[in-house]
Amino acid sequence: MIAAISNKFLNFIYNKILRKIKLSNRAKKVIAFIVKSLIILVVFIILYLPILVITIQSLNNSKTLHNFGGLTLKWYEALFNKNSPEYAPDLNETIGNTLIVTFIATIVSTIFGTFIAIGINSLSAKKRQRVIMLNNIPILNADIVTGISLMLIFSALLPIFPGIFGFTTMLIAHIFFTIPYVVLSVLPKLKEIDSNLYDAAVDLGCSPFKALVKVIIPSIKSGILSGMLLAFTMSIDDFVISFFTAGSFDNISIWVYSTIGKKSLTPVVYAYNTLITLGTLIVLLVINIRSYAKNKIINKMNTRSVSYAKKDF
Amino acid sequence: MKKFSKLALPYIIWMGILVVIPLAIMLVLSFMKTDGVSFQGGKFTFDNFSRLVDHAVLVGLSNSLQFSVITTIACFLLGYPIAYIIAKAQIKNRFLVMAVLIVPMWSNMLLRTTALSNIFQPNNVITSLLGIQGISIKGTKLAIIIGMISTYLPFMILPIYTVLEKIDPSILEASNDLGANNFRTFWKVVFPISLKGVASGVILVLLPSATGFAIPKMLGEGKYVLIGMTIENSFNNMNYNFGSLLSLIIIVIIMGALLIISKVDKEGETLL
Repeated sequence: MIAAISNKFLNFIYNKILRKIKLSNRAKKVIAFIVKSLIILVVFIILYLPILVITIQSLNNSKTLHNFGGLTLKWYEALFNKNSPEYAPDLNETIGNTLIVTFIATIVSTIFGTFIAIGINSLSAKKRQRVIMLNNIPILNADIVTGISLMLIFSALLPIFPGIFGFTTMLIAHIFFTIPYVVLSVLPKLKEIDSNLYDAAVDLGCSPFKALVKVIIPSIKSGILSGMLLAFTMSIDDFVISFFTAGSFDNISIWVYSTIGKKSLTPVVYAYNTLITLGTLIVLLVINIRSYAKNKIINKMNTRSVSYAKKDF
Repeated sequence: MKKFSKLALPYIIWMGILVVIPLAIMLVLSFMKTDGVSFQGGKFTFDNFSRLVDHAVLVGLSNSLQFSVITTIACFLLGYPIAYIIAKAQIKNRFLVMAVLIVPMWSNMLLRTTALSNIFQPNNVITSLLGIQGISIKGTKLAIIIGMISTYLPFMILPIYTVLEKIDPSILEASNDLGANNFRTFWKVVFPISLKGVASGVILVLLPSATGFAIPKMLGEGKYVLIGMTIENSFNNMNYNFGSLLSLIIIVIIMGALLIISKVDKEGETLL
């Protein structure tokens, strides 16, 4: 119904208006180029302006955030040097908390997520779709609902395990919401692999587990890697779920949230943020360049073997 | 590889425990008046339901609806063309495209919001650097909406791009050969295929922007109350019962979203 109406509407616009405008091909191209560049520019500004501001502030000599007082690296120094006058012990503690939770959650969810994806992939189609739907719940669910759900179940467990609120609960929560991302990135790669490869490995005397590790895991490596990256991205940035499951433990998001309207943020936190972004970017680039180089070699070998094959004919 | 289906079983149990049991607790809590989550001394009541029509709650719901719908439409209008442009450019290096869109997400969401809240003030680092006079939009609806777009736009672009990228170019050639011009090809062929990416994108933007509480609090200076803030407040004030009821209402909406997703995208391919 709606589709039909909007269809008619767009046809109308197209027939009555767009067709009437007679433009040379060149003018059309120029207009398309301008519109395209404008959209790219707007999106780029919207996405990257906050990061630009964070980076400038991490280098800003003035402590107040209202003016620019020249370049400095003292905020970066304060991150690593305890004797620096700007050293903020509570901030460094929260940074430590954030990194520990993120690293453990990323590693655990990558390992479990991969095996779970292999399990889901070998289910029958109907069962698989149901499990995938279950898997998608934490991704689609509003963070606030996930956070409250986990808080409720942890509170219900409190009489059995007193004092779990804090590091343990936050870690469990992070593992809970990062596993689905790993599962979803590994599944499509699993679909692509030829199950004969696995059967061949078993026929040639591999144990199922060895075949899994030696044959399946290497062929889904890129999926595992991107799942790991997503898990890391989601975990290090998380606020709402951590907020409800943290108890008195705090990560960087909770720390920032607790300063709203109370005190101004020390620029050291901007320095930390810039370093994390840069660090992740460098890791990603290194991985990408390496895989690019590898692909190039493989492509070269393929074309060579093709040309050899042609020669044979 | 059938043997490995056992690997999925613990996951089903784990998800069952962490998804279903909290739901049951919420359901019970919303019909009771309790002290926190301890059921001892709690009593059965419908009081929570009568609070649903409180003025503050209704305002929260309508604000949530308003902000999230505007944000979603804006994200769609910006995100679809970008996804289309990237997919059309046929960049071989998918990793690189992902990286450009994901890099902003490595910066802490709350810090990005504080950065925005800083430049929404008349005197800020950028104006001081450029030597110009800034404008003040902090505390306005516009500020909140820009903040939401900036945070959630990648979640719209990525699923649409994933679908567009997979479209076989020969389909487009076929459409052109059969006499459709570029506009008709797009509207009749490309757009309908991309709708499943759009559905994922809309849900991934609509839900967090309707239920988040940090962005409106930081950029709106508390002038606009969204439903997420009401839920956060009830839990902070130890009123678990009303908070649970509000969460249940959101869950019902999410169930609808899940159903749509499971209809259009059975294997969850567009959610990444």
